[in-house]
Amino acid sequence: MLLVLSEEHKEHLSFLPKVDVAVVAEFGRIALEFLRRGTSRKIYEGAARKLCVPVEMVQHGVEGLMFLMTESSKHMISEVDFLDSVLVLGFVEELNQILLQLYLQHHSQIRSVLSLLSSDMPAYHNVEWRLDVQLASRSVRQQAIPMLTLRLLLMRGHDGCTDHSRVLQTDPSTLLHLISTLEAALAAMKTKHCALRMLV
Amino acid sequence: MELSESVQRGLQSLADPSVFDHTSFPALLDVSFRSLLSSHADRGVLDQSELKQLDQILLKQSHTAATTFILEAVKQNADKSTISSCLEELTFSAERIEIFCSTYQKHKKELEHLLASIGRQPPHVNDVSWRLQYHMKNGQVDKVNEPFYLISMNTESKGIPEDINFTCTMEQLQDLVGKLKDAAKSVEKASQM
Repeated sequence: MLLVLSEEHKEHLSFLPKVDVAVVAEFGRIALEFLRRGTSRKIYEGAARKLCVPVEMVQHGVEGLMFLMTESSKHMISEVDFLDSVLVLGFVEELNQILLQLYLQHHSQIRSVLSLLSSDMPAYHNVEWRLDVQLASRSVRQQAIPMLTLRLLLMRGHDGCTDHSRVLQTDPSTLLHLISTLEAALAAMKTKHCALRMLV
Repeated sequence: MELSESVQRGLQSLADPSVFDHTSFPALLDVSFRSLLSSHADRGVLDQSELKQLDQILLKQSHTAATTFILEAVKQNADKSTISSCLEELTFSAERIEIFCSTYQKHKKELEHLLASIGRQPPHVNDVSWRLQYHMKNGQVDKVNEPFYLISMNTESKGIPEDINFTCTMEQLQDLVGKLKDAAKSVEKASQM
């Protein structure tokens, strides 16, 4: 699949051939860093001063690079398609190769960063359990009730740290029911495997 | 069993045949158990025909004493001999003790259940439902092509149901099931000790 670059995008990237190849490589590194950590205006200003160009030009160039990388990674486009897509920019072959290398080296990393953006449901992280026997409560003094206390740890996409922890309780017979239900869920994956293979 | 002064006095009135005769005694007992077990407070619970001729204040004191005594007995899981000796000390006749004990036995389980449900507990898991889905793409990433599970734990806290929803991959689900199985094994081991 080919990427279709907008006119504005092409204009932003037109800055790149005007500078040294080493500078483009440096911009590539900055772009990836920004994708990981977020942008920083100071870096744009520093680079603009060194190259004696307006800050906006540097900013657009780097942002253009970032967008090129994210779009290519999002669609997992092949080497050939990538080169064909950047051909329209009219760069020299060396520059195209640099951009390609940047893409090939970092596309899986970029994809994992992008996938963090799309998590909206809490995901399972871990479960801790404890077997207790309740002996008494404020209203009843002599009891012997076995109960399982569970701590379910869930994670929300973005920062990868455990966001959500729920303390739950269940009894031994419900526990066995949960286990058999979830084992049936796992078995379902195995029988549908052939159908999944056909989909892909 | 330790009982306060007012409870003792109320029970002593209940034991007295000149206050509560052989029709009003079982009537008050019945009313006492009923008022503990019914889910709605009934203002007219003491408006029984058998209890109409009694002094209303005395009636209320005895009713309060009886219900307090019953709850205390259930709470301490008192056996028949403890209850009998307690009532004997409060001048109950053997016949009345017998009537009380048989009514108490009838309702004991239900009362225990009622008392056990009072108190703070974490939400109780009743069931779990699951869905197996295939993630093809989303707004940020194309060609994801991964199967995943949507698990929903149905919990209940004081009658209010709540669903805890989360996703997991097959490996994560295997981890969850493995840990739950460990827990089940420990329950089995503990029950054999």
